[in-house]
Amino acid sequence: MLRSRSALLGLAPALLLLPLAGKAQEREVVSKEVSVGRSEAALRLEFSDGGTLALALRDGAVMVDDEPVGSYDPGDALDRTWRLLLAEAVALENGPLTEALRDWSPPSALEGEDLTLARKLDEALESVLAAPAEPEPVVSLSGGAEGEAGVVRVLLNQLPRLAAFGDAFEELGPDIVLHVDEDVEVAGEETVSGSLVVIQGDARIAGTVEGDVVVVDGTLDLLEGGSVSGDVRLADAELGLDEGAIGGDVVDVVRRELEQVVRDRLREELRTQIRNEVRASSRSTSGLFNPLRRIASGIGGVIQDLIAVVILGLIGLGVVSFAPRNLDVVAETARRSPGRAAMVGLAGAFLLVPVYVLGFIALLVTIVGIPVAVAWLPVFPLAALAAGLLGYLAVARNVGEWLADSGYRYTDWIRKSNTMTTLTGGLLGLMAFFIAAHVLGMVPFFGFFRGLLEFAGVTAAIVAVLIGFGAVLLTRAGRHPEYRAPDFDEAWAHAVDAEREAKSEAGAQPPGETSDA
Amino acid sequence: MPRTVAGRLAAAVLVLAGLPGVGAAQSWRTVTMSRQATDADEVRVQVTYGAGTLKVHSTEGGLLYRMNLRYDEEAFEPLAEFRGRRLRLGVEGVGRSRRFCKDDCGEMDLRLGQGVPMDLDLEFGAVRADLDLGGLHLTGLELSTGASESTVDISKPNAGSVENASFQVGAADFTARHLGNLNARRIEMDAGIGDVDLWFNGSWRRDADVDVKMGLGSLDLHFPEGLGVRLSKDSFLVSLDPEGLVKRGDAYYSLDWDRAERRVTVDLEAAFGSVAVHWVR
Repeated sequence: MLRSRSALLGLAPALLLLPLAGKAQEREVVSKEVSVGRSEAALRLEFSDGGTLALALRDGAVMVDDEPVGSYDPGDALDRTWRLLLAEAVALENGPLTEALRDWSPPSALEGEDLTLARKLDEALESVLAAPAEPEPVVSLSGGAEGEAGVVRVLLNQLPRLAAFGDAFEELGPDIVLHVDEDVEVAGEETVSGSLVVIQGDARIAGTVEGDVVVVDGTLDLLEGGSVSGDVRLADAELGLDEGAIGGDVVDVVRRELEQVVRDRLREELRTQIRNEVRASSRSTSGLFNPLRRIASGIGGVIQDLIAVVILGLIGLGVVSFAPRNLDVVAETARRSPGRAAMVGLAGAFLLVPVYVLGFIALLVTIVGIPVAVAWLPVFPLAALAAGLLGYLAVARNVGEWLADSGYRYTDWIRKSNTMTTLTGGLLGLMAFFIAAHVLGMVPFFGFFRGLLEFAGVTAAIVAVLIGFGAVLLTRAGRHPEYRAPDFDEAWAHAVDAEREAKSEAGAQPPGETSDA
Repeated sequence: MPRTVAGRLAAAVLVLAGLPGVGAAQSWRTVTMSRQATDADEVRVQVTYGAGTLKVHSTEGGLLYRMNLRYDEEAFEPLAEFRGRRLRLGVEGVGRSRRFCKDDCGEMDLRLGQGVPMDLDLEFGAVRADLDLGGLHLTGLELSTGASESTVDISKPNAGSVENASFQVGAADFTARHLGNLNARRIEMDAGIGDVDLWFNGSWRRDADVDVKMGLGSLDLHFPEGLGVRLSKDSFLVSLDPEGLVKRGDAYYSLDWDRAERRVTVDLEAAFGSVAVHWVR
């Protein structure tokens, strides 16, 4: 092993250990914050090594790293002095900033407590800004058979790869044993103090390395009994681990860099994709910026509402054709007892799921019930849906009748004698909030009112379904009338009987007297 | 001592702002923040500013950013966060405090480093904005603003290239100059209500697609002579003054479209308003 003293060989560690060399320079300020208000004048610094310093005169207290070290009076000599320093610091960055802050000293005009506190601030600045004392690095360099010329040749050959291998040399300790273009063997009883770096050579370690081991373009054999207290970093190198011990991590620098490249690329692709999706999403939802889309959306909404009315109307036509009496009975209950029906509907809605589950379990208990349980699964939800629909249609019919009686100009076409018109009118009435909301949605800046109308529409639909569903439950789907529906034939017979009785009474009276019956 | 005029002014403002009694009617705070650019990796920059005057420029000297803020400390607090290649700058409201300002709403002067690749996202509300993004290394640009009077100028060619530049403008007077310098493959403009001026001058290094959606207002498109322009329009109650364009099929073309070295395709969707084309030397 030869000790490097020549200027030529001094180039080698300088080239390879650039990160180390950088650390020995002045402490670098990477971030600065100067904040001045009526009750505060603060300076916050962040350094490249992650350290921070916060000095402030805040609300009468002098703070160093958020710890009070004294007090001051706003506007006093200390406050003015400190603010002048901050005013100077505002326009400075990094080196000049460090220099200005480190060179600052309390002015001679200060005295007493102000002077003491100013000195504390000065000491805090100087102690933090001073470059940390680093031990003088000791670098031992060993070359191959060609000696110094061979070392230089190998290092120059590695120059294009130095950037890629930079990670391998990060955070090595100050003491480094560097072997270039030669194999190294650390015997069983031997101890290497510091990091061992082998470039273009093989390392066999049976002894102890008190530091990291870096192998570039070679192999590392960690033999039985061999130990490395720090990390093993490999760059274009292979590791043979024969029961040796490694205190730190094993890092394949080249692979890590490749993985980093792949990761970065994936991250970028993902980011682009997410951005495109977000943009597409915002474009589809941002109505304010796209009036044509807003109008189209509004018209589409109205059409959807009308289609819903048509579909419900067709279902209603089926109910009117095949179960008119059931519809009458449910509608009558919903009309006469809407509150009670709504409460029953609400309770029924809450009980739907428990009844569904418990019913299924109860059917499973018996062998006979098992096939019924299988049918129960689809039939019960369908029955509940049908009940809800029947109830909604019944309430819609009531709404239609109310609209027909209302005398509004645009409801003349609704005839109470025709169930289909009352049903259609009622469905349109219940859907009117949604239609109005979609129409209003075409106009900019009416978002609030649109939301209000949609809320009213949803509320009306829920109330209608609850009342209708409750009426369906109360009347067993219209098979058990809660109220006796008016019977036309009976009423007619009653009216005829009343007329007949009146005539007979009139015939029994003496001439000249008239009946006022 | 501060070595520049701006530095001296900032220093004077700082000293005056802090002295007791000066500006006591409002709780103004002045903050200067800066950060060194430690490497050349891309940074995602998000700038948020609610109300006041906003200026954005570029700066040299190895800085990632430098920000001077003047704000009402009872209503806002500064935001400067750099984490994981993501930089967030601006001011944000404090608690539920909401103050409405009439004349003086504070100001923000932001300088972004020239040598740092940036994906820039600017979001501001009722702001008078003057943005000069010339000289920056932009890899992405998104700008969204509410009710504002904004000018965006890319006064010098972008050192990078932008795949998609997006401007979303609510109710505002908006002017964008030297869009050619942006080196963008696609430019999107969504405008609600207001007057929009788009200047397509600058140094064009690639063909571009421009997508303009306009609600209610006037849109002025300024093209430099020599730039090939194709304009297609999907509009409702919009008047178009296609100066220097001829209609071929469904679209309008500049006279030199076929032999133009660089071409811009403009897709326009508009409702209620006017669109005018101008040519500049």
